[in-house]
Amino acid sequence: MKNAQRPTPNATPAGPMPITVEDVSFTYPSGTHALRGVSLRIAPGEAMAIVGENGAGKTTLVKHLNGLLKPSQGRVLVGDWDTREHSVAKTAARVGYVFQNPDDQIVERTVGDEVGFGPKQLGRTEAERAADVAAALALVELSDYAKTHPYDLTTAQRKLVTLASVLAMRTPILIFDEPTMGQDARGLALIGGIVERLKGEGRTVLTITHDIDFCAAHFGRVVVMADGQVLADGAAADVLARAELLATTNVEPPQLVRLAQALRLPRAALTVDGFVETLQGSRGAGGQG
Amino acid sequence: MTVNYGLYVPKQSGIHSLHPLTKLAYLGFCLAVSWVIPGTWTPYLVFLLGIVPLSALGQVLPNILSGAFKAVLPFAISLFVVQGFFWPEGTVLQQIGPFSLKEEGLFFAIRGAGRILMAVSTFLLLSYTTRPDELTLALGQLGVPNSIAYVILSTLQIIPRFQTKATTILDAQRSRGLETEGSLRVRARALLPLVLPLLLSSIVDIEERAIALEVRAFGRQGPKTSLLVLHDTPWQRLLRWLLLLAALGVIVWRIYAALAPRFLS
Ligand SMILES: Nc1ncnc2c1ncn2[C@@H]1O[C@H](COP(=O)(O)OP(=O)(O)OP(=O)(O)O)[C@@H](O)[C@H]1O
Ligand SMILES: [Mg+2]
Repeated sequence: MKNAQRPTPNATPAGPMPITVEDVSFTYPSGTHALRGVSLRIAPGEAMAIVGENGAGKTTLVKHLNGLLKPSQGRVLVGDWDTREHSVAKTAARVGYVFQNPDDQIVERTVGDEVGFGPKQLGRTEAERAADVAAALALVELSDYAKTHPYDLTTAQRKLVTLASVLAMRTPILIFDEPTMGQDARGLALIGGIVERLKGEGRTVLTITHDIDFCAAHFGRVVVMADGQVLADGAAADVLARAELLATTNVEPPQLVRLAQALRLPRAALTVDGFVETLQGSRGAGGQG
Repeated sequence: MTVNYGLYVPKQSGIHSLHPLTKLAYLGFCLAVSWVIPGTWTPYLVFLLGIVPLSALGQVLPNILSGAFKAVLPFAISLFVVQGFFWPEGTVLQQIGPFSLKEEGLFFAIRGAGRILMAVSTFLLLSYTTRPDELTLALGQLGVPNSIAYVILSTLQIIPRFQTKATTILDAQRSRGLETEGSLRVRARALLPLVLPLLLSSIVDIEERAIALEVRAFGRQGPKTSLLVLHDTPWQRLLRWLLLLAALGVIVWRIYAALAPRFLS
């Protein structure tokens, strides 16, 4: 009967694992065809961003990755698990998902309890939980707010709380739906730092974002979605340089890419250093010629 | 983008295009008959003859049947248990251990459930076939103050809003490891952490709505101009008066019938 007190027996975090999306289509009960034949393979430890205009199907796609939505057609594998064969609660030990709207996610009355909710459901001990909460709150720099009611925080802070509450679950895969929305420069830097850290730990980080500069700075792979389909999928430097393709789904290339194109540089760079290097390289070439 | 019209089921039907007040008068009449005329089975008869055909015409019969069933069932069960077994005295139909099922209590429960069925199904028929903004406008034409009309309108919309909210919160909790699928016990346990966030977010919601209304000059005095025009016809106006009179007639007749024996004796 000991199990009765432990809702799920997944106390130990699972190791790295791939995600496979096989020809997935999804239709909402209202009749909207939100996904039409999407296929992706995401390797363990990959950092991937999904971009595309409003209504492209980005949120619908990531909700398939933790089992919240089940494909109408095709299948989704998280590690060796078919999402249809395991409850969302079980899959939660493998995939952490930060919702687009923080107010959709908050369930507890204090920031500390909120962040501890996931670890508790995963069956961790009180001591483990306390450590998870402290570490996660430190990462988002909200350690002083553990006793505060989440609704007494600003929206940007609440978004960080929801981020922390998923970090605390220590899942091998993390999904962020629009993490930078409403954040100022400091918040942006904070979230960027967290993404880098997760990458460093070898965890899979997926993000949906409209912030193309954030995407360029931290994500090696970019998937462009439009109308429920994958329009392009590849290395960020290649995909984000395809201005015409991005324009069809209302995405603007990063500033550095546009600058490089305006200067007719031979290739686009996603970082300032890379840009300067390319610029100097082409200058050097021009000087010699 | 599609506008959320609460319970409204968009269909092309004669029932949908009726003036909201005509529907209101008809449903009021049905409700009066089912509640006032005695007889255990009266509400069910009115439901079969008055609500079902109109629901079918309005292409919302499946919605009405499933909605009414879900809403009435818990009431019906508790009425049956409480009234059937705890009726103080009467003809015992069945003895189950220390409890006895009594005929009078049983009939009382059947009639009670019928009345609830009528209340629920008239409400649903109106909501399914009438756009809330049209209903508000119609009530305004009746002279109902805007604030009251708004309360009615938001009541019509609150059920689907609550459903969406509840799903969202459940999704958030499942995503973080709370088991909500499976046995009844698991589901019941999942219900508790659902209630507080639901209430809290609804309160935040109400405040936001109030602000939105205020900045749109909702509290302004005097008549307002509507961009919406309701379609009305002379025969509908006549029908409404007839239904209103008939409903009043039934009620007056019932009061008379109840009081008359006392005056006559
Ligand atoms: N719960 C739902 N019921 C019905 N249709 C939905 C639902 N959620 C989304 N949709 C529809 O599915 C399509 C894809 O929506 P989705 O939320 O996945 O887009 P998105 O790419 O995340 O957009 P955004 O950038 O605005 O977040 C849209 O047409 C949307 O209207
Ligand atoms: Mg989205």
